[in-house]
Amino acid sequence: MNDYQYDNGTVKGFIVSSIFWGVVGIIVGLWISIQMWSPAWNIPPYFTFGRLRVVHTNGLALGLGVGAIFGICYYITMRLTKRPLLFPRLARFHLYLFNAAITLAALSLFAGMNQSLEYAELEWPLDIGVVVLWVIFAVNIFGTIIKRKEEQMYISLWFILATVVTVAVLYIVNNLAVPASLFKSYSIFAGVNSANVQWWYGHNAVGFIFTTPILAMFYYFLPKSTGLPIYSHRLSIVAFWSLVFAYLWTGAHHLVYTPLPDWIQTLGIAFTIFLIAPSWGSVVNGFYTVGADWSQMRNNYLTKFFILGITFYGLQTIQGPTQGLRIVSQLIHYTDWVPGHVHMGTMGWVTMTVAASIYYIIPKIYNTEIHSVKVANAHFYLVLTGQLIFSITMWFTGIQQGALWKATNPDGTLKYTFMEGLIKNYPFWQMRTVGGLIFTVGMLFFIYNIYMTVRKGKALAASSI
Amino acid sequence: MINDTDNLEAFEAKETVNKLPVSWLILFWGLILWGIYYFVSYTPSISGWSQEKAYEESIRK
Amino acid sequence: MTGGIYKKPVLFAIVATVVILIGTMVTMFIPMLTSQMHPRLEDLKPFTAIQLAGRDIYQREGCNNCHTQTVRPLKTEVMRYGEYSKAGEFAYDRPFLWGSKRTGPDLARVGGKYPDAWHYRHFENPQAFFAESNMPAYGWLKGKKLSPSDMESHMKAIGFTYSVEEISALSEKDELDALVSYVQIIGASVKKKPAPAAVIEEKEHVTNPFAGDLKAIESGEKLYAANCAFCHGPNAKGDIGPDLTDDEFLYVKGDVSDDDYFEIINNGTAPGMVEEGRTAKGGMPSFKDSLDRNERWSLVAYIRAIQVKGAQK
Ligand code: HEC
Ligand code: HEC
Ligand code: HEM
Ligand SMILES: [Fe+2]
Repeated sequence: MNDYQYDNGTVKGFIVSSIFWGVVGIIVGLWISIQMWSPAWNIPPYFTFGRLRVVHTNGLALGLGVGAIFGICYYITMRLTKRPLLFPRLARFHLYLFNAAITLAALSLFAGMNQSLEYAELEWPLDIGVVVLWVIFAVNIFGTIIKRKEEQMYISLWFILATVVTVAVLYIVNNLAVPASLFKSYSIFAGVNSANVQWWYGHNAVGFIFTTPILAMFYYFLPKSTGLPIYSHRLSIVAFWSLVFAYLWTGAHHLVYTPLPDWIQTLGIAFTIFLIAPSWGSVVNGFYTVGADWSQMRNNYLTKFFILGITFYGLQTIQGPTQGLRIVSQLIHYTDWVPGHVHMGTMGWVTMTVAASIYYIIPKIYNTEIHSVKVANAHFYLVLTGQLIFSITMWFTGIQQGALWKATNPDGTLKYTFMEGLIKNYPFWQMRTVGGLIFTVGMLFFIYNIYMTVRKGKALAASSI
Repeated sequence: MINDTDNLEAFEAKETVNKLPVSWLILFWGLILWGIYYFVSYTPSISGWSQEKAYEESIRK
Repeated sequence: MTGGIYKKPVLFAIVATVVILIGTMVTMFIPMLTSQMHPRLEDLKPFTAIQLAGRDIYQREGCNNCHTQTVRPLKTEVMRYGEYSKAGEFAYDRPFLWGSKRTGPDLARVGGKYPDAWHYRHFENPQAFFAESNMPAYGWLKGKKLSPSDMESHMKAIGFTYSVEEISALSEKDELDALVSYVQIIGASVKKKPAPAAVIEEKEHVTNPFAGDLKAIESGEKLYAANCAFCHGPNAKGDIGPDLTDDEFLYVKGDVSDDDYFEIINNGTAPGMVEEGRTAKGGMPSFKDSLDRNERWSLVAYIRAIQVKGAQK
């Protein structure tokens, strides 16, 4: 037995909180998906589409995403350093502050306090709160790693360290603003320059919230749950460094054909295409790892989650770079294709991997087994189906939109008015809501399964005393 | 099945520790070459191409 | 390969920071120090207090979640929206509001496209204009008074000059006024060029080929209901746009030729534009790209038919 105590309480707290905010974010997501085809669902002033959409994105990115990242990275770090967190009380405070900040964030966004920077909408007082959250996390992670009891740092720790330093740089720079009041500020950056800063931030928020910490989970939980060692350490190294190097050059792929100087766009696109290689480094490593025993795909429910997750990551990192190309951007930029891309990443890769990590952690810390593998399998197929319906309908309607906007008559005039194009989206937007509902039911199965596992664990602990 | 300590040794395969799959290496270097080609072709101060010129051309047709 | 760096977390973090800063420097930080990132068009003016108030509301309501404000230099896009966006238009936008999704149309060239009255009516009930629009209604902004003192501190923070009168005048205005003021100056610094439609039709100096053609009048009536009625009224008796059945054309009595009708539907109007010696106030949109020649002539035939009917009564 080990002679030290892991601080599992904080880990549990973050997991429960992230699930709670996930539910809020998903409900708002369903709501806005309905508003897209039925404007009667707008309830001014607090619940119109323009305000709710940012509650949805922030609720899920900050609440579900970052909450899960904090908790699961604490867990991974303790395991890999073979010691408890250096500052357990600070970690507990971190948990409370996190929930307070997200609560205020949601309320402020309902109220319309919005910097209009995607994924950095929160006004300046909350920005300070978010920075404090990351500083606490950094202090605890660094401290714990420095005082570790295992000399070598495993790759998951590299990804966690890279996440911490990069998020700090990104978040602080992009949010620099002159306050006009407690609730309103003006960015210090203007025009073209502000666009360049924002998408340097925006793309790397994807890179260092939805990619690197999730890869940290993948590299830790895949070998843990399958018992199979990672295929190639060297591939991990090359993929890691080339990934973190290349990501920061590519923000301009969100600004193709805007007034941003051509050379920045071109450089961004060149690096964007290159990103396929480092991304696929991890994909290949994952496939070869499980390649040692494919029967796990049938026999071990967690393997399915991780392999499907990394597969969607692989698809994303081909689709994403392709979207950056001028010729493709021309057609799909500003259309529903992009939400199709986004949700294969967030629903397919991020949520799949996070859920599987939680399935691994919860039984571990309660000393028990998962409540039901059947329910987990139902969860798996439902979220998979929901996500595929979502992405595929949005790809279709995105391409259709792009094509209608460009279509001309033989005499050179435009063929479709904007409204004629818009109404062709409605059937697809309605199907998207159906896909979202199926995904939501899948997530409810997940929550039920976790809840029952915790109950079982608690009962076991009580009876063994 | 409680396994509270992590044995780092078990995390990484030994026989394949230094392997880089050839197909992946081709991808890696191929994309770097393509990036150089693309940068040279679409940077105004190198190739003369520009978004604006491309537009002017498209409306002349 | 298991070099020392993977045993030294602080060194590792420093190396990682340097690695992420290289791309950051080249693509973001160094360009920021050069003038290419800070262009400004000659005609660009900072926002006035009421315009800034409107822009604040635009941000608050998240209009940028459905609307972009940048026209790409692509042929069909310029045809649809107007002149493509210039780097120098956005010098006072803190931050930029280009957006990333076009659930609604681009707004970079919407300023001056319609009269104010159009926007008031549209914000109150977008579905009255386009039954199948999914834009939320914003009539609830009406009657919500602006706060002069708040706006004064906003103008100070962003560093725009303002006059005392300008600030105190805000107390008379509500949020919908502000939003309309803002929408009306979007893109105002760029001169409107005619769109590069494939065929720029010249004045044909012909009479309507469909004059009196009953079929054409019938299809003109349908086109009128779909494209014109919400501005000129269901009976063309005038609303946001003028009465089409009277004997005035652009506010001056006296008939004009079929041509002139054809032209105004074709090109729309801009403030100050002179047509047959008559001065337009602006606000009539161009239908060059959405209605073809036959459709435009059918509309003229329809308008003539109802004018005759009106005169007979
Ligand atoms: C749910 C998406 C959505 C939101 C949010 C939204 N709009 Fe719209 N908007 C549309 C659609 C769709 C149209 C086209 C149909 C119409 O005119 O109603 C449109 C049309 C417009 C037009 C007319 C453009 C033209 O060229 O005809 C203006 C102006 C406009 N919106 C301004 C705004 C402003 C200002 C806000 C925020 C207060 C806003 N919109 C919020 C979807 C939206
Ligand atoms: C967005 C509102 C709007 C729409 C839609 C619109 N108009 Fe107009 N129209 C106006 C305005 C405003 C004027 C006055 C123009 C000016 O002063 O510059 C005008 C002027 C005219 C005139 C000159 C008439 C006069 O008596 O002065 C004609 C003819 C006309 N419109 C026809 C049409 C037709 C036909 C359509 C449909 C294809 C149409 N309009 C759609 C707003 C509109
Ligand atoms: C190599 C990896 C990737 C690249 C190069 C990439 C590239 C892109 C590009 C070019 C766009 C803009 C599309 C447009 O607006 O025309 C985009 C949008 C987006 N991507 Fe990716 N993508 C990648 C992976 C991912 C992953 C894994 C996720 C999520 C888990 C993701 C989430 C998003 C989001 C949220 C947006 C929307 C941004 C917005 O609001 O406009 N991407 N991506
Ligand atoms: Fe991106």
